[in-house]
Amino acid sequence: MAAEVVVAAASDLASVQASQLGMKALGAGIAVGLTGIGTGVAEMGIGSAAVGAVAENKDMFGLALLFTVIPETIVIFGLVVALLLLFV
Amino acid sequence: MLKPKQMSRLLIAGSRDQMAPVIAELYRHNLFHIEEYVDSGAEDYEGFKIGSPLSGASEKSADLIKIRAITSAISLSADDVDKKPSCSMDELQTKIERELPLLEREVEELTVRRSKLDTREKELDQKIGELTPFADIPADLNLYHGYKRFTAIAGYLSREVILNVPHEMHVSKREGKNFIVMVYPTERKSEVEKTLQEAGFQSVPIPNESGSAKGRIEFYEDEISSLKKDILEISTQLENVKKKHASFLVACEELLRAEVDQTEAPLRFATTKQTFVAEGWVPTDQVTAVMNSLIHVADGKIFVTVVPTDLEHDSVPVEYNNPDFAKPTEVLMDVYSRPGYTEIDPTLMISIVFPLFFGLILGDVGYGLILLVMAYALRRYLKSESGRQLLDVLRNASISTIFFGIIFSEFLGFAIPGWNPVLYSRHLMSEHGGHGPNIPELMVLSIWIGIIHLTLGRVLGMYNHAKQDHGHHRTLAVMANFGWLAVMWGILIAIWSTAAVPLMPNLTGIPVLAIIPPVGFGLNVGHIIGLVLLLVGIVFIARESVLEVIELPTIVSHVLSYARIVAVGLSSVAIAMVVNFMSITMFIEPQLENLTIPGIFIILVGIAVFVIGHALNTALGILGGGLHSIRLHYVEFFTKFYKGGGKKYVPFGMKRRFTEE
Repeated sequence: MAAEVVVAAASDLASVQASQLGMKALGAGIAVGLTGIGTGVAEMGIGSAAVGAVAENKDMFGLALLFTVIPETIVIFGLVVALLLLFV
Repeated sequence: MLKPKQMSRLLIAGSRDQMAPVIAELYRHNLFHIEEYVDSGAEDYEGFKIGSPLSGASEKSADLIKIRAITSAISLSADDVDKKPSCSMDELQTKIERELPLLEREVEELTVRRSKLDTREKELDQKIGELTPFADIPADLNLYHGYKRFTAIAGYLSREVILNVPHEMHVSKREGKNFIVMVYPTERKSEVEKTLQEAGFQSVPIPNESGSAKGRIEFYEDEISSLKKDILEISTQLENVKKKHASFLVACEELLRAEVDQTEAPLRFATTKQTFVAEGWVPTDQVTAVMNSLIHVADGKIFVTVVPTDLEHDSVPVEYNNPDFAKPTEVLMDVYSRPGYTEIDPTLMISIVFPLFFGLILGDVGYGLILLVMAYALRRYLKSESGRQLLDVLRNASISTIFFGIIFSEFLGFAIPGWNPVLYSRHLMSEHGGHGPNIPELMVLSIWIGIIHLTLGRVLGMYNHAKQDHGHHRTLAVMANFGWLAVMWGILIAIWSTAAVPLMPNLTGIPVLAIIPPVGFGLNVGHIIGLVLLLVGIVFIARESVLEVIELPTIVSHVLSYARIVAVGLSSVAIAMVVNFMSITMFIEPQLENLTIPGIFIILVGIAVFVIGHALNTALGILGGGLHSIRLHYVEFFTKFYKGGGKKYVPFGMKRRFTEE
């Protein structure tokens, strides 16, 4: 009787740990995915304006590229959170 | 270093007959940045007018236009030519007079002939396009024209029709539709048109040709192929002209450009009937040399003096003053904005920090070597000055990448065998020889880089404001910059006092304030110092501008932004490892165990995955490493101190490549 309880508790623990691992992976995925969408939405407007500016004046290319990657910070934060979830 | 070159304002005045030699001498020096005279009735310039070009200007401009027409017709650019022409400058002059008109006529004839042939080819292409639907019609096309009582039409029908009108129709299938050509009596036109319209008829004009459509198409195709041959011949002739005269043409272009520049220079001077006055900027260390040689060529008959610089009102042109190894980085500065004359020029700092960031992000011996080879191989194609500078920046970045690749022990995503990462590992899979990634340490390291970089930025900001501003505003601006620093370090000290962070000072052990229990709240000395710094900082910032307080959260976001150094780097490591896993573990290794013929095919697929994957990751590495490190400079670092907007120093003269003085 006692032995059965121990076995059941051990398998419970294993399944809880496995589910925690899965939750971590899910959380990491959601962090990168949602921030990626956020970055995409933000870059959409900037990117189209940047292409317009470059079409008018080729010298703008460097600056336009730079403006376009500014919202990249959002997804980087997502990536950082995901890395911390998975590895720390 | 860290400051643009010092400039002095030079004023040259003399009689008009000295103008030509003075201009020639200034051009030879290639140092004088002309301050253009604007006829706006300035106080000291009453009675002056903008000068007129020297004699011979219009002929030389006409010659220059001719040369440019030729070079654009044969698509020749100065970068295609490496060697100087073999003749002397006098010979070149006579050659321009003798050979240029002939050459111009030759090239013009050829290009005119070529464009005529091109037009004819397009016409024929169009005719073939019109004829193609009729290719299956066996009848002579001539039979569809010239009737009074009958009408001939052709076109596509989306479905079949039954006409109650006497007619002759030929149907063929084309692009999934029925193509019809029919003849019917003109008097029944409205009936026919109505029926056809109901069947979704799209009309096509019947070409005005005689003979069978197939025959005509073949005839035109023959003509096109002979036209193509002619065009090719003309192109080879033009190519021959290019080969034969390339060095002559670029040398002529350069010579004439120099002459036109000089003859048109008076348009930028202030003149009266007898005299001229030119103002401009010369690097201070060259002033005496320029002054002496000007006085020498004019036999002392001109007046040259240095006018004191008024930093408030003059817009002084800016020329970089950097050691050789920092020079290529100027291209990255110009993309943002050239530094102002009175502010710190951060080129030197970027030339050191940018490759470091790039290396920290990419950090892989394999990719570093690929980029190093690219930086040298592309030299053949990018010959312009800024292209060269960019490649030099890439070279420095790739050397740093190799260095950090050794530190992280990475080669195309593999661990370097028998070599463990120095300090911290970025290997994501521990079974591949590494010992798992040290993410927290790497993150904190990147945060430290951010803290130091931003502190440097703010200190430079304090220096710039102390130099540029005056009076009360100056004190406020310097204090505000100090305030930003105080807030950042205050937050840091408060964090250190609250929790232990790896690689950062641990202040949690400091005794808790228990002297005044109601005030203590469990806070320790570190908390109090942090809070005081924070509050003092906010007060300093608010004293300069209250609105700036809204920007306070950027302190945290800007510091955390440096985490991208690790995050972007790890993502490129992850991609490399995934590529290696797919190609080697999934495709190649299982097949190598027992080799079969389909197995060899799968191994080839694995190799393709390896090559394409790493090529893609190299491209991403350049973009990620380059853009993110330069962005950290532009957005996080420059916003703390840098204004830019300096005027480019463009000396009057040119760097001669193909001609001599």
